[in-house]
Amino acid sequence: METQQMTTLVGVLDQKMNRQLKQYLDICARCAICKDACHQYVATQDFKYLPARRAELIRQIYKKYFTKTGEFVPALYEARDPDENLLDELYESTYACTGCRRCMYYCPFSIDTAWILSVAKAILIAAGKGNEMLGQLADAALFKSDNFEMFKDIIVDGFKDIEQQVKGLTGDPDAEIPVDKQGADILYVALAGAHSILPAAVIFHEAKVSWTLSYFEAANYGYFFGDAVKARKIADRFMDEAKRLGVKEVVITECGHAYRVAEIFHEAWSGEKHPFKVRHILEVIDEYITDGRIKVRPDAIKEPVTYHDPCQIGRNGGIFEQPRNIVRALASDFRDMTPNREQQWCCGGGGGLVAISEMDEFRIKSGTIKAEQIKATGARIIASPCENCRLQMEGLNDSMELGIEVKAIMDLVLEAMPLPGSFAKDASTD
Amino acid sequence: METFLNISAVYGVYLSISVFVIGMSWRTYQWATTPKSPVRLGMFPKPKTGAGRVLKMLKDTLIAPQSARIEPLMWAFAFAIHVAALGAFIGHGRLLHEFTPLVTWLGEDGMNTFAAWSGGTAGIVMLAAVVFWIARRTFGPFKQLSVPEDYLLLALLFGVIIMGDHMRFVGTIHAATYREWFQSLLVFKPEIPAEILGSSTGWSLGAHMLFTDLFLIYFPFSKLVHAVGAFSANLVRSE
Amino acid sequence: MSEEMKADLELDLKGLLCPMPMVKVSQNIASVAVGGTIRAVATDPGSMADIPAWAKSTGNELISAEKIDGEFVFMVKRLK
Repeated sequence: METQQMTTLVGVLDQKMNRQLKQYLDICARCAICKDACHQYVATQDFKYLPARRAELIRQIYKKYFTKTGEFVPALYEARDPDENLLDELYESTYACTGCRRCMYYCPFSIDTAWILSVAKAILIAAGKGNEMLGQLADAALFKSDNFEMFKDIIVDGFKDIEQQVKGLTGDPDAEIPVDKQGADILYVALAGAHSILPAAVIFHEAKVSWTLSYFEAANYGYFFGDAVKARKIADRFMDEAKRLGVKEVVITECGHAYRVAEIFHEAWSGEKHPFKVRHILEVIDEYITDGRIKVRPDAIKEPVTYHDPCQIGRNGGIFEQPRNIVRALASDFRDMTPNREQQWCCGGGGGLVAISEMDEFRIKSGTIKAEQIKATGARIIASPCENCRLQMEGLNDSMELGIEVKAIMDLVLEAMPLPGSFAKDASTD
Repeated sequence: METFLNISAVYGVYLSISVFVIGMSWRTYQWATTPKSPVRLGMFPKPKTGAGRVLKMLKDTLIAPQSARIEPLMWAFAFAIHVAALGAFIGHGRLLHEFTPLVTWLGEDGMNTFAAWSGGTAGIVMLAAVVFWIARRTFGPFKQLSVPEDYLLLALLFGVIIMGDHMRFVGTIHAATYREWFQSLLVFKPEIPAEILGSSTGWSLGAHMLFTDLFLIYFPFSKLVHAVGAFSANLVRSE
Repeated sequence: MSEEMKADLELDLKGLLCPMPMVKVSQNIASVAVGGTIRAVATDPGSMADIPAWAKSTGNELISAEKIDGEFVFMVKRLK
């Protein structure tokens, strides 16, 4: 490899250097306590997925170029150049990581391996070795906003189709999906898919709140790809919209990473405080149920239901109880998985992995523990508020014949709401 | 022997302590002056108050309850060696000054018995933990993950402990004699007592100090900087 | 128009939720030769913006995107 490229890559590490990263790289004792925290390592026993090993690849570059001892005695640390070999290893270890941060939970020094790997992604991208699929998806999202006039009518047409269904379900011919509504209280940011828009529209309608739907989806492949500039721009699309409309809060749909990007990353990236709150839709729905703004039938779901904490919402987002409150409010048999909440096992679908077909087999295998956990509950329905988790668990359901139904929480809420439309549906299926 | 002791137990002590203090200060200064990540890297649930965060940080750093849950044996040895090392460090305080209140309370003989038992226990616990760590790094993923730095540190630590244990269990020289030597270092008039020079245990002291010097000199350039870094890294956990 | 053209690869993306239809088209584009075509049928309305945006941003050609009987039908030509 050209020396010049290596210099560039070392420069990327220098540019990304901060106190936390430096400490993480300096203090890891390679005790490998993180070994059994990682679902991918546990399921495959493959060394390249051991969390400390993934970080060690960056540490090898750091030792050689950022420490005197590593510069003079590289052998002591196995310090080395960011050459082709290292980059190939780095690619495998880095893009496989779902960013669940379970290793950080168990680490005696709380080393954030996922954060180290976000720097690894920046290095890989600079070397032209970023994951192609994730990069394409990020670019497609930006293309939509950069050429917004080309897509505006198509996007709004899609919303109109869904609006018809909202009218049907609510029995209100005036029910609507407001778009671009100045002064609305809530800007709801969904995914591109109708499934994330319809139930929320019904819930907002029934709760009689002033809301408007974002033109843009919350999903952020720039974040998975590892390009902080693109990730920020993708989030800017609806953050700017929220500012322009003057909303009081931005509500993110049932999605994991998008919530964390909006609530935790975006202010740091943009360097300014949001003039509005950012909440997850499940926080909002829990509040509506508690305040009696929407009604759910208490025994609407009689089959046993379990809940999977998505990493980006639970351990990394701080939302543990609201989804459980919602499920308990409408299901008569709720069963938690063991372990759960901050100790929950990653399902294996995060980090954009569901979009990378080369990883399909590995991804399903890495979900073995989650599948066992689900089986142990005896639940027939698994509810989870993250699209990637649900796709993964549907994959696990098919390949390991779990015989479960994978549902979004909003779908359960919709089923449990006494709506004229849904009564009609119930009656027809009885 | 005198030359050896002059190197390891006199000049080596001055050198290693200087390198250690300057090195650790420099490392801490480097961390403190590197800008923080603008992104909050904390995880949930997290304490709501500043005091709660500090308490959690101390608990995570000093007890590491999460690590105990995932690999209890590793945690037990790691916890034991840190506690034993702390105990041994405090015990070495006798070189600065006799623990007079303890002597008054236990009597001269009682103090010696107590020192023999506490020092001996710490020495054995540390030896067992280091042997466990060395053994753990000889197979499977632990071996794959290890780099020469890991073995070097364990080897130095093994040397420090085994020679310390030798002085404790085999040597016949009492603390008062070592105190003479150590206090002479403190006032920069180094002198090695004749009793040490005249005993074969002098070689043990020399070796113990040589390993200790090397360990302290390497400390600021190794992963052992977690002694300071673990506190701030664990504070980031609840940021 | 799209019905008259014979595609090199047919993708049934019905029932997939966005962004998965776009992901599937993207994953499969490499399996047709340069100049080859994919015909994809999706049911999620979000795909009407997603798939064209993907085609344009990746430098492939969107030959058509139509709504037929509540389904969304795309013809995409691989250009590179």
